[in-house]
Amino acid sequence: MPGADPGPVRARAVAVTGLGAVSPLGWGLGSLWDGLRSGRTAIGRFDRFDHSGHRTHIAAQVDLAAEPARLRGKPLRLSLADRFAVAAAREAVAQATIDVDRCRERTGVYFGTSTGGMLETEAYLEALFTAMSGRGRPPAASLLASQQNNGPGDAVARDLGIGGPVQTVSAACASGAMAIGDAVRAVRRGEVDVAIAGGSDSLCRLTYAGFNALRAVDERPCRPFRGNRAGLSLGEGAGALILEPLGRVLARGARPLALATGEAASCDAHHMTSPHPEGFGAAEAIRGALADARLDPSEIDFVNAHGTGTPLNDAAECMALVTVFGDRAPDLPVTSTKALVGHLLGSAGALEAVATILCLLNREVHPMPDDGASDPGIRLRLVLGRPLRLARARHALSTSLAFGGANAALVFTRHGDRNPGR
Amino acid sequence: MEIGTLDAETVITGLGTIGPCGHGREPLAAALVAGKAVVAEVNRGAGLHREGGARLAALVGERDVSRWVAPADARRMSFPSKLAVAAARMALAEAGIDVTEAGGPRTGVYLSTTFGTSLFTERLLRQILLEGAEAAQPFYFSECVANAPAAQLAIAIGARGPNVTLTQRESGPLLAVARGAQAVREGCVDRAFAGTVEELTPLLHALLDRFGALARADGALAEMPRPFDRRRDGFLAGEGATLLVLEREDAARARGARVLARVGWSGAAFDATASVSDWGDGQAPLAAALRAGLDLVPDGAAGVAAIVSGASGTRRGDRLEARVLRAAWGEIPLPPVLVPKAVVGEYGGGILTSGLLALEGAPFGPTPGFAEPDPEVGVAPHAGGALQIPSRVLLTGLASGGAAGWLVLERVS
Repeated sequence: MPGADPGPVRARAVAVTGLGAVSPLGWGLGSLWDGLRSGRTAIGRFDRFDHSGHRTHIAAQVDLAAEPARLRGKPLRLSLADRFAVAAAREAVAQATIDVDRCRERTGVYFGTSTGGMLETEAYLEALFTAMSGRGRPPAASLLASQQNNGPGDAVARDLGIGGPVQTVSAACASGAMAIGDAVRAVRRGEVDVAIAGGSDSLCRLTYAGFNALRAVDERPCRPFRGNRAGLSLGEGAGALILEPLGRVLARGARPLALATGEAASCDAHHMTSPHPEGFGAAEAIRGALADARLDPSEIDFVNAHGTGTPLNDAAECMALVTVFGDRAPDLPVTSTKALVGHLLGSAGALEAVATILCLLNREVHPMPDDGASDPGIRLRLVLGRPLRLARARHALSTSLAFGGANAALVFTRHGDRNPGR
Repeated sequence: MEIGTLDAETVITGLGTIGPCGHGREPLAAALVAGKAVVAEVNRGAGLHREGGARLAALVGERDVSRWVAPADARRMSFPSKLAVAAARMALAEAGIDVTEAGGPRTGVYLSTTFGTSLFTERLLRQILLEGAEAAQPFYFSECVANAPAAQLAIAIGARGPNVTLTQRESGPLLAVARGAQAVREGCVDRAFAGTVEELTPLLHALLDRFGALARADGALAEMPRPFDRRRDGFLAGEGATLLVLEREDAARARGARVLARVGWSGAAFDATASVSDWGDGQAPLAAALRAGLDLVPDGAAGVAAIVSGASGTRRGDRLEARVLRAAWGEIPLPPVLVPKAVVGEYGGGILTSGLLALEGAPFGPTPGFAEPDPEVGVAPHAGGALQIPSRVLLTGLASGGAAGWLVLERVS
């Protein structure tokens, strides 16, 4: 059995009871879902930092002017990524109708991020380097916000007064999905009664320059899986999920939004920036998540793919899907949330998990813009232009593929459509 | 299809470590016996440091890892990646596993880091901020992600199982080992590399000092960390890597491996009273979490024969650590409290290695820097002298920012 196999810890079904989102489509789930359904991309001109020296000039940024007022009093020691995380977590907790005060010690936080407070660290270092060259005074160290990668998860725990485990995963673009996978396991094992899981990242100069240096950024909004795709578009935001044992949820009379039925991770062990060309590692993760969910590939109704829009990633991911789903792959609906909100890096897997669950709840797969020609090498049923109604959708897969070959896959299931004891 | 047995025991069969004391566990053991902080002068030539600030750090002096990483491979790696690969191969050698057989789809990597690949990140940021956006070099970018060392390790070994990097400051190393042990125990993987890696650059040192986090000279008081001492004023920054090979106990025994330790209880909690960059005073819930975990250990707190403490010399961190330990042990006298960060500085690899050394019965000398007990703390670290060979040790990691991790290692006869 491959390493992606999840092992036998499946004693407790895990319910998703709350969702939260901050995205370039807006603050909150309502904005996210409306934007996703519309199929209109939020990728465009942005002003988070000066990008005039780059060859590309687009990204998907969160509208800070629309930030809920209650968060504005807290930015002093919080990075932007922290603020996104806190907002998403608060929304998820509210939807789950959890009284955190009554379960502080039995609640854990599992968050992913790729760069944490890098945006604020850059501003501090720029001022410091300038001062070192004889221009101005060194900035006060207190101006460094929560610059490390544990910032978003810690900020959520601090904001909500959590007393249980807090764990931050930094596995580049798979961080959010891995964090959710870890949270699923923690709930199954009974380590916590409530897990707040997700991811958060903000745009920053380091990743914008880095991906541009790799010539991986498209000058136009990204076009995942399309024949004229030419790279990714960067984005920012946060996604959060509340996970609880299904039995506890039903006992307290709450409504499960979905079940988190499968998770697994793997590694290509191939190259730092290029995926295995045959999608070998990604296929291992997908198989592992399906095995964890005890599902046959034929039972998956749609896929929210990693789908960055880079030629290599999409080709490798397509290979992985074809490997796992075989002859069914050309009929399997596939979408990529990144076409609408950009690549949220460490937060991507989390926001895409939220999007996947929203699609399941609404039995509708959100579209990607119908922009560009098809790629004959991509033998998948892409959802383009308008939402795809799937009246009987029960199980969905979300994939994340990262720098360093780290892969993660998650399976979500509509509650009530399967034996909850599985 | 082979699926592991739920709750199989996880054991450690290999240790690889590179740190301020040198390569392997022996120089670290010698430094612990000597009871003297291993320090080096930090390069302050760039003018990043403040006047009167910290000058010392526990730096890796022996930086040549060509015995473990071929130069052709090393040229594609940052220093932390080289350290991680070298430490992993060192651990494999001790575990008696051929490096060509160590990887595969059922081998996972669980690594922690706080600052990641500091030098490459700094170089990339300097290029972007000072030379212009298009000056950024792709190589620096691909190696500046926090999971670069774990990914390079996976590529070097061919480890195709889960590849997880945790960033939870001082609690990260213990969480990573716990996470790896869990994966083995639950049958997700047959073998796991678990541990930690840190890199300290002059810039990072200067930033930590500007934050007021580091010990520094004060009048007649020399610059040194003073864990649990009344005069403590900060930690000694350190760097290095420690990697462990974890596998199922039955599998290890079946292949005749020498078992270094069994991974026992692990736990985690959070102190929400902590600020972003400091420790809080929420000892009661942390102590309750630790006590609940110790109740699961054979003989409870009394069954823990030594504590390898994460205390590092910070005002609030050491106070919180002491209060949590005292509250968790209650009426039971605390066992000897070993404080390796007083010797090898603040990097998680020292804690992991010291935990195994303690279980092996290695002697520990006096805790440097401790001379004046702090009534506010009420814990005195080990003063040197013979220790009973413990059957069980507790490793602690309370992180600035609020996270806490604990790990119990057990001696296997």
